[in-house]
Amino acid sequence: MRLESTLIPKKIRESAKYCHECGICTASCPMAELLFTQYNPRSLLQAIFIDPEKMLVEDSLWLCAWCYKCFNRCPQGLKPPEIFQLLKTKAVKRGLFKGFKEAVKKIRNSIPLPVICLYTCFHPERAEMDSKLFAEALEELNTRRKLKKRKKTAIHKEKVAVIGSGPAGLTAAFDLAEMGYPVTMFEALNEAGGMLRKGMPEYRLPRKALRDEIRYLKTLGVKIKTKTRVGKDVSFNDLWRNEFKALFIAVGAHKSRELGIEGEGLEGVVDALDFLWKVNMKREVNLGYKVGVVGGGNVAIDAARIALHQGAKEVMILYRRSREEMPANPWEIIEAEKEGVSIEFLVVPKKIMGQKGRITGVECFKTQLGEPDETGRRRPIPVPGSEFFLEFDTIIVAIGEIAETTFLPAEVETYKGKILVDPINMKTSMKGVFAGGDAVTGPATVIEAILAGKKAAFSIDQYLTETKNREDTAW
Amino acid sequence: MPQKLWREPLDAQKTKLPKAEICIITDLCKGCGFCIEFCPKNVLEQSEQLNKKGKHPPEVTDESSCALCGFCTAICPEFAIFVVEKKGENNVGNEEKE
Amino acid sequence: MVDRESSKEEPRIGVYICHCGLNIAGTVDVEEVTRFASTLPNVIISKDNRYTCSDQGQQLIKNDIKENNLNRIVVASCSPRLHEPTFRKACEEAGLNKYLFEMANIREHCSWVHLNDKIEATQKAKDLVKAAVAKVALLEPAIEAEVPITRKTLVIGGGIAGIQAALDLADTGYEVYLVEREASIGGRMAQIDKTFPTMDCSICILAPKMSDVGHHPNITLLTNSEVKEVRGYIGNFKVKVLKKPRYVTDDCSACNECSEVCPVNIPNEFDVGLATRRAIYTPFAQAVPSTYVVDKEVCLNKEGIMACDKCIIACERQAINFDMEPETLELEVGTIIVATGADVYDPSALLNYGYTRYLNVITSLEFERLINAGGPSGGSLIRPSDMKIPESVAFIQCVGSRSEKGNPYCSNVCCMNTIKDSLLIKEHWPRVQIYVFYVDMRTFGKGFEDLYRRAKEKGVIFIRGLPAEVVEERKTRNLWLTGENTLQNKLYKVNVDMVILSVGIQPCQDSEAIQRFFTLSRTNDGFFMEAHPKLRPVDAPTGGVFLAGCAESPKDIKDSVTQASAAAARAGILMAQGKVTVEAITPKPIPENCRVCGLCAQVCPYNAIIVDKENKLVEVIEAACAGCGTCGAECQFGALHMRHFTDDQIMTQIDALTEDDASKKIIAFCCNWCAYAGADFAGVSRIQYPPNVRIIRTMCSGRISSKFIEHALSRGAGAVLVAGCHPGDCHYIGANYQTKKRVERLWKKMERLGVNKSRLQLLWASAAEGERIASKINEMQVTLKGLTTKEVEKAREAFSDN
Repeated sequence: MRLESTLIPKKIRESAKYCHECGICTASCPMAELLFTQYNPRSLLQAIFIDPEKMLVEDSLWLCAWCYKCFNRCPQGLKPPEIFQLLKTKAVKRGLFKGFKEAVKKIRNSIPLPVICLYTCFHPERAEMDSKLFAEALEELNTRRKLKKRKKTAIHKEKVAVIGSGPAGLTAAFDLAEMGYPVTMFEALNEAGGMLRKGMPEYRLPRKALRDEIRYLKTLGVKIKTKTRVGKDVSFNDLWRNEFKALFIAVGAHKSRELGIEGEGLEGVVDALDFLWKVNMKREVNLGYKVGVVGGGNVAIDAARIALHQGAKEVMILYRRSREEMPANPWEIIEAEKEGVSIEFLVVPKKIMGQKGRITGVECFKTQLGEPDETGRRRPIPVPGSEFFLEFDTIIVAIGEIAETTFLPAEVETYKGKILVDPINMKTSMKGVFAGGDAVTGPATVIEAILAGKKAAFSIDQYLTETKNREDTAW
Repeated sequence: MPQKLWREPLDAQKTKLPKAEICIITDLCKGCGFCIEFCPKNVLEQSEQLNKKGKHPPEVTDESSCALCGFCTAICPEFAIFVVEKKGENNVGNEEKE
Repeated sequence: MVDRESSKEEPRIGVYICHCGLNIAGTVDVEEVTRFASTLPNVIISKDNRYTCSDQGQQLIKNDIKENNLNRIVVASCSPRLHEPTFRKACEEAGLNKYLFEMANIREHCSWVHLNDKIEATQKAKDLVKAAVAKVALLEPAIEAEVPITRKTLVIGGGIAGIQAALDLADTGYEVYLVEREASIGGRMAQIDKTFPTMDCSICILAPKMSDVGHHPNITLLTNSEVKEVRGYIGNFKVKVLKKPRYVTDDCSACNECSEVCPVNIPNEFDVGLATRRAIYTPFAQAVPSTYVVDKEVCLNKEGIMACDKCIIACERQAINFDMEPETLELEVGTIIVATGADVYDPSALLNYGYTRYLNVITSLEFERLINAGGPSGGSLIRPSDMKIPESVAFIQCVGSRSEKGNPYCSNVCCMNTIKDSLLIKEHWPRVQIYVFYVDMRTFGKGFEDLYRRAKEKGVIFIRGLPAEVVEERKTRNLWLTGENTLQNKLYKVNVDMVILSVGIQPCQDSEAIQRFFTLSRTNDGFFMEAHPKLRPVDAPTGGVFLAGCAESPKDIKDSVTQASAAAARAGILMAQGKVTVEAITPKPIPENCRVCGLCAQVCPYNAIIVDKENKLVEVIEAACAGCGTCGAECQFGALHMRHFTDDQIMTQIDALTEDDASKKIIAFCCNWCAYAGADFAGVSRIQYPPNVRIIRTMCSGRISSKFIEHALSRGAGAVLVAGCHPGDCHYIGANYQTKKRVERLWKKMERLGVNKSRLQLLWASAAEGERIASKINEMQVTLKGLTTKEVEKAREAFSDN
């Protein structure tokens, strides 16, 4: 019997029998939305459980972008990315690459920033894909730029400003440029790329791939103004009043939350984003022997892994809830642990201890999980009297990032460091102003930001066309 | 029935209770603190100020939660505190019948 | 060991091995076992049989007893928990005392759990038969004492199930106490607007029953009351009920004057917080009793301080009295019906649906109050954000049901409830666009499919696929639902004015307390387990206790009423008989061995042993004794003869089971109520585990004496497992704490003697935890595998001195 196939471990097969096909996975999947359900994790899962052998050559397998949104919402707690992963590994082992090649074609044709996505989202290397095939795929994706017409002439006169040059901003700029809008992009740092550049280590995303993508963007006619921080070098209202008919805010979440405990000012207490930024800039960082990372998100995991790469001997993540509540990508957690990062659950720092202005360690509480809070995860409650001391040379704080929103006018509503938008059309409370990406959702995956950029571009086009029509009829 | 009651009841506006106005004649107060101690809604607190008798009269911390029970008036030995219904407020609550 | 005088005759044993169709014979070589049995000492007849429990099967035993003058019978078939009464009756009919019968459980504990290992299963069946034959030879005849039954019933819970059960029993002529925690009876049914599939008005059909309860001469209604303690046993329960004061006397005429002047205004629980109430109030218009009640938690009059007397002044009949005190009533009843009902699932944990973040997302229970004419909106379907009638609504099914994130089971009523609700909307506001998002529509009952069809006819749109997310449009407060239509493989985005979450049902929060009171078992879902899922669906495993309504499983009103009437009938049968026999398993003191140390009296959970040190006498009060055997296990001098589970009988079972290959075996001692039943459950669920375990049944794990365990080890048993109810769930109050102490003592001793202490394991497992038992047995294989002959020998020597 096919169902008895050994491709899928018994445990997963048994749990997957409870799939009621409610469709929540597909409806949550950014890839399904980008590909208009040509990619459908639900039906893919079903097909796998009927005949896994046949599905080894399926291109859909390779289209999962590892965002784990399906897992977070699945009523049965299934992990589709990991089930697909099992099959991908098998396919590679058996030398069945048809599916992968087909998938690369689909990615090339329908996904913005395909090369970046291949590196940061699709992770064929996780299936032990050999580097030759990977290189071939890259080449294939790069042909997109050659295939498309080099420079688009602007067919609209309404100028659009994109604030921020991360994945959301880049995507929106691409799409708008291709629709024929003159787009200007503003970037505060000296080079475009946003978090792709600032937070992504080189081993994840080679800088060259990012630069190629940005160069191509310029050939489409997008103007990129680097070293221009909106709110400082140019005011929001100037942009709005003077030239631009629509604005897309994609500033990401670059402001780190603070622990708010004693000793945070000590030398050796570092903010995770700053740390990543320094490493990416190849500046020297001295971590010492033992490094502690506070937090449980993807940034915390990245920081911990990079700390190891940077020569720290022992890296320990301190997370205040248990493994189940950890917001980081489960695969990344496993990989980090494989590399030797240890994770201490149910602890929260009480006080950072130091001597002569330099950190010596952290006093922590043990926590217990109480009633769920507004995020639905169980609230960690410090246990009085459970204090214990952990020695560290460096503490990296990665307890969440929020958007820098101080430059926005009051008309644009925000809540707790997130810009409020209508999630269907990315409109903010201010007319003609749109927002998307991490600035709206909080730290999330590249593919989610790309989807936001895509939706925003569509919505901006719709808005500009409507306004124009109205003006035309008014005249 | 253990479900969380988180909503503002639909009839909350209609059944709003009369608003209170707490009047304290500070100079009559002898600082016995009964009103503060026995207020069932804990809307009173000892103030910093001194009255003519050299005592600390009570002050109102949260007038809106006063239930107008009048217990402070009843127990004040010096007749220094009384509560009246606030005028001009929408006081439909008590006239409402099912 | 003591010689007993009662078994004077030479045993003449008949052994019957059952095929149980292919249930046993499919795995166990029954002929082989039969042949084997015939070689055992004292066995006169050994026969196999397709269905021993059938009439012919029983007749065969009866005939054999008469023709061959048999004086002991062994049946190897299913669990004694299932058919021991059947065969005991057959023995009695043939003139044989029923205590001379023994069963070997070769189905639940053997054939069903070793489906793929026929050789080992057959070997195990032989062992089990050998042990049963050995034990039966030592059994003694006994006569059961009779205890009168108190002809009164306690019904816990005043919902529709409790009401129905109380009325049925009261009408039959029995006295009934109905205890309800809230201020009024009525339960969930009172909150619901209409009932499916007939669309009857819920309160209209419930209110007459409620008032019947209030007026019935045979019913004592105790509202605002909670059960605090239960003692006793079938026929003779003593229950303590805490009756909290209402602070309003029966003179209350429910005129509402007090409520109107009360200065405390808070959300009303009955309306799920959609409307307000005062601190002095009546939960709803049809409440029974209609007497008002003061909610002392929020009233301004705290302990001893009368800050506010507005209600007292307003009450013309002077019915308000703040001096009332809580009362503890002691009730004596013969039977108890548990009808504690269920709670609804709280969907705020499902973040993607936004309940408590978005005003216009409501639960199905809130919807019932909204659409109810007596509810906060006067029966008008309004959305909470702007009090306007919505133009479109969406129902989301399976919220908190059939999900790892909520409850794994199907809540049974939500599909029909949604269909009913959608028809109600269509009835009043035909233009409202209704979407129902579902995974499976389950319309299985009488008239249910018709209702489903009607809903479709009226234009309700059913879409397969649950929304992944509900998001609010900030300006309009309308809601966007995004999901996948899984029949079309297309994503949908639907905009509606209001979303109704069809929330599931879960065990009520008091279930745990009730479980402890009556030492009931709960399934993994948290609902109470019945004595037998098919044949005794309303009996609790504890004698004299019956289950009704949602306490047992999620069910609709009709099923609740049916079950309540069934429970009433079952309780009625017991009480009509007027007496109940007590199993002859109580201990008999042997004065010549007794040193009057008093240890037995100390460990007895029922205080049923009286030690008279002066006259050197120990007396057992049979009516109070429940037969757990803890005293017998503690007695160091063999001075307590535990009838039907004597030391000799259990020792001979151990001997039989350890005769060969002992070092490869696990000897497991399981208590009748939890562990043994759990192993039965593993069998029924076909949970497979290694076949080298041999289970010996005792009534309670408290009976398992250290010497049994030591004896097993001295006979070279590879490992010993002691298994009982979870601490706190013991069927003999706290007898299993003695088990724990004893095992811990033995562990220390083993350590001292240099014996690997992991060879003795202690397990707490409930009757629903077959999986737990199986995994423990699997886990113990590791110990067995690592066991060397030397180690076995060492333990053998260490313990054989004792």
